[in-house]
Amino acid sequence: MPPQKPYAFATYRSEDDARKAHAQLNGQKLESGGNAVTLYLSYVDSVKNEGEASVRFPEGLTLLEDFVSPEEEALLLAAVDWSTSTEAQKALKHRKVKHYGFEFRYDNNNVDKDKPLPAGLPQECLAVLQRCLHDGLISVLPDQLTVNQYEAGQGIPPHVDTHSAFEDTILSLSLGAKAVMEFRHPDGRAVPVVLPERSLLVMKRESRYLWTHGITPRKFDLVPACEPRSAAPEPDVSSHSGLTLSKRGTRTSFTFRKIRHQPCCCAFPSACDSRGGNASCRPSPPSLPCCHGDAARLEEEYVHRVYDAIAAHFSSTRHTPWPRVCSFLSSLPPGSVLADVGCGNGKYLGVNPQLVTVGCDRSGALVQICADRGFHAFVSDALSVPLRTASCDACISIAVIHHFSTQERRLAAVRELVRILKPGGLALIYVWAYEQEYNKQKSKYLRDHSKQHNGEKSTGVPEESRGPHTEPNVLTSSRLESKHCGDLKDEGKLSVHTNRTAFNSQDLLVPWHLKGRKTQGEEESCCRFSSRGEPSPVSDSSTSSDSRTSPNSKPSPTADANQVPGGTAAPVFHRYYHVFQQGELEELCCGVNGVGVQTSYHDQGNWCVVLQKE
Amino acid sequence: MKLLTHNMLTSHVKGVTKGYPLLIKATEVKVNEVEFNPKFVCRMIPKLEWSALVQAADQLGHREELPGELVADYEKNEDFLKRVHRVLLEVEVIEGCLQCPESGREFPISRGIPNMLLSEDEA
Repeated sequence: MPPQKPYAFATYRSEDDARKAHAQLNGQKLESGGNAVTLYLSYVDSVKNEGEASVRFPEGLTLLEDFVSPEEEALLLAAVDWSTSTEAQKALKHRKVKHYGFEFRYDNNNVDKDKPLPAGLPQECLAVLQRCLHDGLISVLPDQLTVNQYEAGQGIPPHVDTHSAFEDTILSLSLGAKAVMEFRHPDGRAVPVVLPERSLLVMKRESRYLWTHGITPRKFDLVPACEPRSAAPEPDVSSHSGLTLSKRGTRTSFTFRKIRHQPCCCAFPSACDSRGGNASCRPSPPSLPCCHGDAARLEEEYVHRVYDAIAAHFSSTRHTPWPRVCSFLSSLPPGSVLADVGCGNGKYLGVNPQLVTVGCDRSGALVQICADRGFHAFVSDALSVPLRTASCDACISIAVIHHFSTQERRLAAVRELVRILKPGGLALIYVWAYEQEYNKQKSKYLRDHSKQHNGEKSTGVPEESRGPHTEPNVLTSSRLESKHCGDLKDEGKLSVHTNRTAFNSQDLLVPWHLKGRKTQGEEESCCRFSSRGEPSPVSDSSTSSDSRTSPNSKPSPTADANQVPGGTAAPVFHRYYHVFQQGELEELCCGVNGVGVQTSYHDQGNWCVVLQKE
Repeated sequence: MKLLTHNMLTSHVKGVTKGYPLLIKATEVKVNEVEFNPKFVCRMIPKLEWSALVQAADQLGHREELPGELVADYEKNEDFLKRVHRVLLEVEVIEGCLQCPESGREFPISRGIPNMLLSEDEA
């Protein structure tokens, strides 16, 4: 049973009844709300009770149901004139957005406080706001309103409302349909909250300043089966008894906020832009190291621990040896001794069985995978390889040296490769290139941006971006100015790269979205109802990266895969990389005595050299 | 860890000059069946440190009557090649450790995999 999917369990009084039910119902096609559905029944030994304890609301969050009457709801919805939305917006099928009072800008996630919009808030809102004042939910009338209209399948990526733009209390009125909003704490806790129609969500303090909130773009939500009583203000979506599917309708939210004019002084500086924090759920990123100790610690955190954690998933995406590496291996005389330094999951260890091959890697988990496959491998660091000097006829280092965080360490890694070579021996080195586009050909890494399936570099899930989805900037190969910063902020901090886009900096953290045994392309709906109305059968949980994506499912524009109410989001790991500029690898190798660069080329987003020891 | 791998490994503890060959202290040894490829074994032999191989095989109690020195004309001696094949590729240390002959530092072998990582001050 693939995990993170909704299942319904039926118990029969007798085996006979169960058999009859199975015979009659399995494979039956039904009509359900305009969609054709096929029922699939399977016997299970037992129902796993994954009942989690009831999840509490984030601190400072209140949900008030039936805050407006149906008449008021109709009035408010009618007050918004959507006729001004552009053709482009319609074509993009994004949620519709309209601002009142002040314009919210999605480029800097802030408000133009000096340029209030001519019309203030619609007067239809006054009654509701007076009610909020009267009930003590707010002490000052809001002066900014953002109306969002979400059709089924639309959402908004997780975010924290900018601290410096708005005061503490944020009010959000849900009209037209219900939806589930997900709150996420930086420590990974996730709380799904059902927002019924005509309910008011009040976000204060921790729920407003620290937790992110977002709406998964999908057509069905998992909600409690019984209607929550208004006396129970915290609907328990996470308990697995009494869940059902709720089809999304068109939901319109009215979010009222008060513009902040003084810098924010909240109790959550890590997420506060007034205090140099950042609002995404990540710890403060590291700086570039300036000594071996710092470098080793950085690499421990952002390379070694990550590979050990993602080993199985990583290995499943690394199964196709690169042709030019294979040619190199096949060109070696039979019986040659080959060392693969940084062998990973052993992808290259079996390519040429006529060689005497041994692999080593820093990750015990990856070396274990090599051993399971019958390859000879051991755990070691590339900076100190326990092989005798001049003992190898050839060695390879594929996608390894770019994980070293200082130039000295990268140089030391090359020196080790050369040391273990016999005179005349060859070394092949591949490192990730800063220039992903070369000779006007985009690398597979960039090309896979639109395909959304696991590629050779990393799982390609675009980073969350707010507002309309923008095309990535593609950099054609150009020399990097030493002061040019994109990923690397001025304070020398590493920042996180957006997968499958061009690199803005040479030193960065690249996300890896750890996936379980779920195939890609399933982000849209938690039970695989597609836009064509045909369900896709629950597929085999294949982990290979060339597994079929369901032909019916649509990749989501703001992918945040593995979102299921009551479950936690897929963990994201960050790997450190130093991507090499054109010529940089050659230059590095020239710093090593007794070796010459035989060939140098660009291969699918990598800079490559073949070295020969004198 | 197979003895082919052991034949290549050396101690790389800082300052050590006589780190090869590593001593094997095995607590669990397995013998697997591996397809015999005489050509491959032939090509491997000149790349080996023969005495280190014999010493290692001895330590494991799997010497298989290997001679202390390489015989001449081994290429045609299928019986000999089979014994080399067995020692190099079929005998496997599953648990135990490798010990640096000079410093005494032990490198663990677990689930068949030697862990040669050094700590910061040893490197």
